[in-house]
Amino acid sequence: MNGRLARLSVFVVAVLIGALAVGQLRSQARLTEVSSLSAQELSTLIETLTARNRELRTGLADIQAQLRQYQVSGPQSQSALQVSREDLRRITAFGGLAAVNGQGIQMDVTGDLDAIALNDLVNELRNAGAEAIAVDGVRINARSVAIQGPRALKVDGVDVGRSFRLSAIGSPDGLLSAMQRPGGIISQLKLFISATIEIRQVQSVGLPASAVSLLPVVGKPVE
Amino acid sequence: MSARRGRRLLVRPQWAVSIAGALAVIGFVGYAQWNGSPGRVQFATSVQQVLAAQVGQLEQEQKDLRAQIAVADAQVLAFQTASTSSSSALADVNRRLAQARLAVGLTRLRGPGVVIEIADSKRVVPVGENPANYIVLVDDLRDIVVALWATGAEAISINGERLVATSSIYGVGAAVLVNTAFLSPPFRIEAIGSEGLLDRFQANPAFRGRAAQRISAFGLEFASQPAASLDLAAFVGNTRFRWAVPTAAAP
Repeated sequence: MNGRLARLSVFVVAVLIGALAVGQLRSQARLTEVSSLSAQELSTLIETLTARNRELRTGLADIQAQLRQYQVSGPQSQSALQVSREDLRRITAFGGLAAVNGQGIQMDVTGDLDAIALNDLVNELRNAGAEAIAVDGVRINARSVAIQGPRALKVDGVDVGRSFRLSAIGSPDGLLSAMQRPGGIISQLKLFISATIEIRQVQSVGLPASAVSLLPVVGKPVE
Repeated sequence: MSARRGRRLLVRPQWAVSIAGALAVIGFVGYAQWNGSPGRVQFATSVQQVLAAQVGQLEQEQKDLRAQIAVADAQVLAFQTASTSSSSALADVNRRLAQARLAVGLTRLRGPGVVIEIADSKRVVPVGENPANYIVLVDDLRDIVVALWATGAEAISINGERLVATSSIYGVGAAVLVNTAFLSPPFRIEAIGSEGLLDRFQANPAFRGRAAQRISAFGLEFASQPAASLDLAAFVGNTRFRWAVPTAAAP
């Protein structure tokens, strides 16, 4: 009787310890559920998601319009050719394979930026809705990253000097406010890096096509 | 009676030590559990609940929109593919279009590469330390992605989100947004690239400089391995520019 009671006690204690230990481990996990974010973070998230959904709706409307054009013209007609040419222009511009022009902002940077800082600036511009970006004359594509070269920073194999110009096409107001917001990227960089950053809106800026080939070599398209 | 008491006394010291030890463990873990309980430190206000519900609706709306875009894109592609069998100018343009889609990430891609997984640390956060050190931050993901691009990756996706020229990796509190999607750990980064990509990645300063140190110092869960064949989904999202206008004929 005593032996069975002892085994039962040990079993109960082990279960209790296990349950508590699991609970403790789970409580250490990140609270990534949306409900765990603060009201301010949730507001920012709503703002971001609303803007991105608006873009998606616009994009969907454009694709549907393109589809209607194909359906009306038929796959082999002259207007289908026009639609495809337009699509080619659009996709090459989207990926950085074609030169583009438009409104946006320019940032003149002078100082000791490291590769992380330059990559963060580009990431921030993308997040703010920049459609096309260039560092001096180098157009940023999906694979473009700043790395520390032997003498200077390099982007796509091109040296970036201590002074450089970052150009971005997009909503001038949206880009400017994203860059200049309190606690934003520039405020953060100024805490750690000795640099001057001058930003201005521009009515028209031209960005070149990327000089690198983006066609995959080992990757193959899946039909 | 006295004999029974005597027998109990003989058994009691052994069990007393075991039970005292077990109770001490339960007490310690129970205290830690109670002390670190999200319920204790975090109260979801009604405002937060309303906002969280709104985020949920926006996420659902986004899923619907992306699904519709994927369907419409496939239909457009079907029209373009239908014309490539002829020798017309249209066929030529559509072949170039297929190449452009492949180059910029709008085509599903298959090839060898690496798989990297990173997740929050399972260590107990020591008292007085910043809990943010023990979770995967956007900086970690950016460092990994930069190191992969810098070492020759041809295509990358994070939890299925294909990275393209307009992709950003953005943090709002503990939330991580890639493209338009709200992602949670574990983060699975898949990259297609030539042989030796994993070795080059692990030796790259962009990875070693910050992410690798945080993985080591705070016990972030991390695993990486080469893969003989990976399938990376195409980017699904808006590819229409509102502000940027192409200035020349397509290449």
